[in-house]
Amino acid sequence: MGSNVSGKAYALTILSPIKNAYVAGVACADTVRDQLENWNLLQNSPMARVPQTYLARLFVLDDVFTQSLPGAGALDTVSDFLPAVPDGIRRAALPTPDHLKSKYLVFSIDFHGELEPYLRGMWQAIAPEIQSVWQHCYGFDAVSDAEDFVAYMKKCQLTAALFFVGSNDDPLGEQLKALYLKQEFSRFALESQGLPTAELKKRYQEFIARVKPTDLTGPAWTPGQYALLKHSDARQEAAL
Amino acid sequence: MSNIAGKAYAINVITPLRWYLAWVNKIIFWVALKFPQYLKGLITLSLIHYARWVIIGRKQFPHLHPDQPKEDLKYGYMLFFSNFNGSWDQYIDSFTFSIPGGLDLFWKWSVRYPHSVALTPFHDYIRYNQVETNHYYSAYPLATSNDVKAARKLKAMLIDFDNKWHDAPDAEFQKHYNKLLLGLQHDLGDMRPTPIVSMAAAAVDKRRVRDLRKAAQHTVAAMEEM
Amino acid sequence: MTKLQTASLDLFDIQGDIVRPYGRFGFPFARYVFFNIREGTRGRAFLTAILAKVTSAATWGIGPDPIPKPLATTNLAFTYQGLKNLELPRATLAGFPEEFAMGMKARKDILGDDGPSSPEYWDPIWRKSRDKNRDLDVHVLVSINGQSMAALEERYQWLLEAVAASDGGVVQLSGHRGHDGAENLPYQEGHALLEDGQLCTKEHFGYTDGIGDPYFAGLADASERVRGRGKQMDDGTWAPLATGEFLLGHIDEAHEYPAAPVPFLLSRNGTFMVYRKLHENVASFDGFLERESRNFSGSKALLKAKFVGRWADNGAPLTTAPDDKSKAEWDARFAQASDVEKDRMLSDFTYDDDMSGAKCPFSSHMRRINPRASLEFTQGDKPGAMVRSRGAFDTPGALVNRRRIIRRGMPYGEAKDRTSDRGNHGIVIMMLNADIGRQFEFVQQQWINYGNDFKASNDKEILLGNHDKEYPSRAVLPADPDGERAPYFLRNIPRLVETRGGDYFFIPSMTALRLIAKGLVDPT
Repeated sequence: MGSNVSGKAYALTILSPIKNAYVAGVACADTVRDQLENWNLLQNSPMARVPQTYLARLFVLDDVFTQSLPGAGALDTVSDFLPAVPDGIRRAALPTPDHLKSKYLVFSIDFHGELEPYLRGMWQAIAPEIQSVWQHCYGFDAVSDAEDFVAYMKKCQLTAALFFVGSNDDPLGEQLKALYLKQEFSRFALESQGLPTAELKKRYQEFIARVKPTDLTGPAWTPGQYALLKHSDARQEAAL
Repeated sequence: MSNIAGKAYAINVITPLRWYLAWVNKIIFWVALKFPQYLKGLITLSLIHYARWVIIGRKQFPHLHPDQPKEDLKYGYMLFFSNFNGSWDQYIDSFTFSIPGGLDLFWKWSVRYPHSVALTPFHDYIRYNQVETNHYYSAYPLATSNDVKAARKLKAMLIDFDNKWHDAPDAEFQKHYNKLLLGLQHDLGDMRPTPIVSMAAAAVDKRRVRDLRKAAQHTVAAMEEM
Repeated sequence: MTKLQTASLDLFDIQGDIVRPYGRFGFPFARYVFFNIREGTRGRAFLTAILAKVTSAATWGIGPDPIPKPLATTNLAFTYQGLKNLELPRATLAGFPEEFAMGMKARKDILGDDGPSSPEYWDPIWRKSRDKNRDLDVHVLVSINGQSMAALEERYQWLLEAVAASDGGVVQLSGHRGHDGAENLPYQEGHALLEDGQLCTKEHFGYTDGIGDPYFAGLADASERVRGRGKQMDDGTWAPLATGEFLLGHIDEAHEYPAAPVPFLLSRNGTFMVYRKLHENVASFDGFLERESRNFSGSKALLKAKFVGRWADNGAPLTTAPDDKSKAEWDARFAQASDVEKDRMLSDFTYDDDMSGAKCPFSSHMRRINPRASLEFTQGDKPGAMVRSRGAFDTPGALVNRRRIIRRGMPYGEAKDRTSDRGNHGIVIMMLNADIGRQFEFVQQQWINYGNDFKASNDKEILLGNHDKEYPSRAVLPADPDGERAPYFLRNIPRLVETRGGDYFFIPSMTALRLIAKGLVDPT
């Protein structure tokens, strides 16, 4: 009933079961998590190299949570309509502790395009990084090329019940070019305020020649750029 | 760990569903998709890049290998992933105040959901069932959803203007240039780094920037010695 | 025994400064005196001694046994460290919110107090507070407002006697900057400015101040004061804001009691207050206005109004008087209006007819600190137009109602030399709210120093934003989407206002003050 597709945007939800084993004295799940945390220490995320990726997140799901907060739902409180609640019913109304038998690597990506080309692109761009994280997952041993990877991911995939696109479903290159243009044009508009028309037109034409609005291979933001930019980093700021 | 990538925040919430009610939840989502006017509040809030709800039946966790034990769950689960702008507090507050009915519609099938009004029980429920992200990536950390939307509009209008008026005589050029600016007047904000999301997150970021800078200096120094 | 005046709020329990902006009630002189509590027992004895003169919110001059209007008012507030030194139990202290416990200086990154606003440039009293020497921490604020300087002086002397009687248990902190390079004054002064020899409500940039004041449930004169000051409803009416947005122990807009420490009696009818000393760079302001007015297509007065959202001379809202012509008409009506009508003209307006910001810009002071219902907006069909997205939210003010702030305070100093930014002149502002993080800090960080909620990316609020030279600030003054004119861009906005110090305070109720003074606070 649900769909992973909204226009040209795709919501990929992956749950990869992690082996219930250990490597060099560290549980597989913890190793996976540690590897992901290492990605946080890099200059830029490996996902920046995967084409058409808007946003992506990864985490290790250790277990589900047992509820203990008070509820307000009818099903939690329906027994209250009885004048006297037998103990069996009262206890049955409490949330049951529930547990996963395996830990899962959860991978949620919002990207532009179709699933298989995207996954192939991912494998081509960052296969070593993928392997370093997924090597401890069940069934990943059999993955040695892009096609294996696509097949493996499809087995781990879940379908979204509702995929909401708040921004748009343009190709990433379009979005990055557009953001670049927004930044540059707003600066241009500011700097050229009040100029006599002839001068304005001349500067505008120079501006267009510099930013090349229709050329996606021309100047634009790069994926994940400015990830670490802070006010104190004057050199990087100057490039903005 | 980081739930933050520039101006985007990643929230992951997993809540149990009574397995025999999962289908109700799915239908509600389907209706919301079919009749977009139900999403008007969400769209007006304008804080979300992309969001999704996933319902996993209790027997639907991926099973890939004979060695992997089969799940034996009592509940189905609903996963909620959102990429939004602002801090967690701002996001939850905004939703609770602007679309409490919508929140309830999506979550009331989850076990022990306290409804979105009053605020604190709802906060607590989301926090309780939230899982931290280990790694989060945004292709445009300096841009909010508003920025991405504004940018697309700006690009289209700029190209259209350029096609028509690039070499126009001065008076025509000026007139339509003014019109262009007028049409884009709410899309010309300057994009810079995000305000800090919290003191804790800012501290982690500071250390990370410092460590990377040190590492870069070491590399440069090492190369110079070669 | 006289029957209590009828009001929904316990006016006798609430401190007067919460409910009453003294400056507008005939108290044009203020003095803010800060103390360090050296020892708990004597500190509490000091409190007991001065309690008698603490001014409550009780209405003056009505009823058979009227409370006379005092010649001077006195009110108290405490920092977290102050409450600690007064020996409130740890179990109570732990219930105070994190931001209050940390204090304002530690939160500078959230507040954007950087560059010239950073603590290294603050007045010595604030620099040294919460630094190396704990004896210099600010613990207590005693604020005095006087109808006359004589009355204020008399109250001040009485206060000093109480301090002396504490025998070293309470020490007055010096370190306020004053005129001509003074660095070590014993108090912060505030006073209403004069215009043509008359007391006025202007501040040093020349704007009429102190018009807005959130209206919340329990206050008097609802029919006169709720419009424009409460919350805007879908059907065009206005409703009072929930009391709990401004007073602890009352239900707030989220249908719950605001987070507060235990015991209940300590927090009920109290509130949190943010004290900030804001220096005004009059030369930069005048220069900036002058420079931009040369290119701006309207009058200089109109441009000045665009920075704030109100005309400077009399506070006329831009949304109802968007240009020189309509301002002249507004002025004529205003001159004929009764006091109640004047108040309506100043406060009763919405942004519904100005969703594109052509009248009152999105980055103007007024629109940023209280957007009314204008955040329920979306792109319109006409290029450059924004429209109300009616019905999108549960209530039109859904994103705004919990971000309202009560503002109190006074200008200080004289801007003797308007060609210089230096000197000691500005405003002391005290912002009152039930939740510093959700109200003050949010507005400061997200709406003043950032613009995403206004679809303005990082663009800051023109007047108060922490503009700096390194990353030149800009603001868009939108034009009418139905017109032919392009929007006007303000460029290289200088930092107009700089923080010179302050901290986060707790204003207890009268009951709480008595409990603190007696050393009886106990959440068991």
